[in-house]
Amino acid sequence: MARILFHLILQRGIDMEDKVIEVNFGPQHPSTHGVLRIKVKLDGEIIVDAQPVIGYLHRNAEKLSEMGSYPKATIYMDRLDYVSALNMELGYVLTVEKLMDAQVPERALWIRMMLVELNRIASHLIWLGTHGLDMGMLTPFFYCFRERERILRIFDEISGSRLLYNYFAIGGVYSDITPKSISMIKEFVDDYEKKLEEIQSIFAKSYIYVKRTKDVGKLSMEDSISYGVTGPILRASGKKWDLRKNQPYLFYDKVNFDVPTRQEGDVYARFLVRIEEMRQSVKIVRQVLDKIPDGEFYNKKFSKPMLVRLKATGESYIPTESPKGEFGVYVIGDGSTIPYRVRIRSPSFANLSSVPAMLKGYKIADLTATVSSIDPVFGEVDR
Amino acid sequence: MNLFFFLMSILYGILKFLHINFVPFVYDGYPIGLWIAYAIVAVVEVVLVFALSMIAVVIIVYVFRKYMADVQNRIGPNRVGIWGTLQLIADVFKLIQKQDLIPSNADSFGFKIAPYIVFTPVAIGFILIPFGNVSILNLMVTNFNYTVLFLIGVMIVAPLGEIIGGLSSNNKFSLYGALRSAAQDMGYEVPMIISLVSVIILAGSYSADGIVYAQRHIPFIVPEFIGFIVFFLAMIAKQSVPPFDLPESGSELVSGFSTEYSGMRYGIFYMANFGFMALASFVIAVLYLGGWEGPIFPGTIWLVIKGAVFIMIFLLTWVSLGRVRVDQFLNMGWKYLLPLSIINLLISSGLALYLGGVF
Repeated sequence: MARILFHLILQRGIDMEDKVIEVNFGPQHPSTHGVLRIKVKLDGEIIVDAQPVIGYLHRNAEKLSEMGSYPKATIYMDRLDYVSALNMELGYVLTVEKLMDAQVPERALWIRMMLVELNRIASHLIWLGTHGLDMGMLTPFFYCFRERERILRIFDEISGSRLLYNYFAIGGVYSDITPKSISMIKEFVDDYEKKLEEIQSIFAKSYIYVKRTKDVGKLSMEDSISYGVTGPILRASGKKWDLRKNQPYLFYDKVNFDVPTRQEGDVYARFLVRIEEMRQSVKIVRQVLDKIPDGEFYNKKFSKPMLVRLKATGESYIPTESPKGEFGVYVIGDGSTIPYRVRIRSPSFANLSSVPAMLKGYKIADLTATVSSIDPVFGEVDR
Repeated sequence: MNLFFFLMSILYGILKFLHINFVPFVYDGYPIGLWIAYAIVAVVEVVLVFALSMIAVVIIVYVFRKYMADVQNRIGPNRVGIWGTLQLIADVFKLIQKQDLIPSNADSFGFKIAPYIVFTPVAIGFILIPFGNVSILNLMVTNFNYTVLFLIGVMIVAPLGEIIGGLSSNNKFSLYGALRSAAQDMGYEVPMIISLVSVIILAGSYSADGIVYAQRHIPFIVPEFIGFIVFFLAMIAKQSVPPFDLPESGSELVSGFSTEYSGMRYGIFYMANFGFMALASFVIAVLYLGGWEGPIFPGTIWLVIKGAVFIMIFLLTWVSLGRVRVDQFLNMGWKYLLPLSIINLLISSGLALYLGGVF
């Protein structure tokens, strides 16, 4: 047996002189969340260098948006970050409304805010489940998806689809929320925090999980700012920066919520920040349910026959806080019915650039933990 | 009396009764008829035990799937057979039908032989488990004075198959899986063997039925609780199931050493995994919980109950825990398990010296 082993080692040629092995993690790999490819140089189990390679899901979203009328581009926004499609729509719709000086009814704004927060919870739940899978925990995935399913049913009731909604229109929303959907949301909000406590305890009370994520994938506040990192990762590094608080859009200045931050900047801190964000989102949804006014849900001026004839001049950019970080669409209009330029600022793209800084010196097992803690969604990275 | 010799003498009696006499032929002082009976019984028993281990695998895989589904709010297999009981059989047929794919630059000899090296120890291991005794009849395929030593020797061979399979696959992930498998063996095998040695010292016997007999008053889990914990953790690592599934580590190294395996070759790895789970539970039950000893029920039922408890504990850790990192596992093995097992060795040596008569 030993002879076979030696024979194999000699024949297969593990070059002992050159100790560094280059391994491609992805694009077909079970834990890269889509089609991320990371070129990793490994010295044994230790990562010497890691370079993310992207572009496997490039679909030309920006150029396609410049080829149709303003409302048509919304569906391309849906397909950017497909696990939080409403957040993507919101970024585009707000910008275009500013460009057109559109008056949006208050009810529509409140509806948007509520649904965006629900979608943030859904997105974080997907993150939590897949993060668990990456850490070798199979079970929490199903608990997270069970809760997410309830949110998707709410969206199905309101907009008619479960994943890609096309619900936010320029000048409002496409349809009003029904009493049934409000009761569904109330039901969800009432017991979600209890369920979240349960799911959190699976992770936080597991000694193995805590040991594997503390002091792993560290990113200092200075580094994260210089890489352009935003969202939960930035807040886990200690910077209290949330666009909902710092540059309020919709009615975020009229609701009461906290911005969770941690100082450690490791994977565990990101986990705690995201969990706490879900709690704050529930809090916001609860307040919105109390404050939501009656009235119109769309501006008559932007009713459907008018949509393709909308014209805009000038340029605008409104940054929004998507579940992944700062998301915004920079739109230039030249006075015609189609946008002259659409440029998407996608959070995961910037966050992913910090991968080499996060990974150097850690082990292979930390690679999956760190990459999943970034929560990249490739529709949005490659655009 | 051993089951083997019992069956053999019955068969020899039948042969005598039917006047199938080979008196003229005598080999080694015994008539040839005895040797033929010996050979037939050996084959029958090996086939029986192999079938037994396969049945155990089928049952465990079914229980595993249903239990995991239950924990995860799913239904689990429910289409093939009653309540999905035949799902594994269907899976095996599916796997057999698949193309036997060997990567072009793989070392085909090593690649082909690896699954069998992993699987054979499981099949051999089952013949060494004492399944209880019916009056004077010992339900044990083979019984000799060094059963436990042989058992450990057999079990240690299995990771070698993982290493060979990983190295010969010509894939970097497989290579990492193989090396992790080697590193993991280093981590747990020394404490495992030391805690086994303390059982042997306490029992004063190398044979499995001797160890069970020594536990007729107190099961060894009481005097050797530390050794039990060490051995239990080592057994989880041995099966390479979560939290110690480093050689496979599904999310990091695509599928570790078995990345390039498909079809029935992968199926053999899969079955060896679950077969080992059954074997490990029985071994723990024999070494620490008194094997077939127990009131009211016959011994075999007690052994199965004790084994089933451990199988359920293994499955519980599987579905509920994450995976440890390689360095964490090695830290645990060398810094905690090894000193603990040595402390346990000292304790059991002292017990054997001063309270030897009790056990």
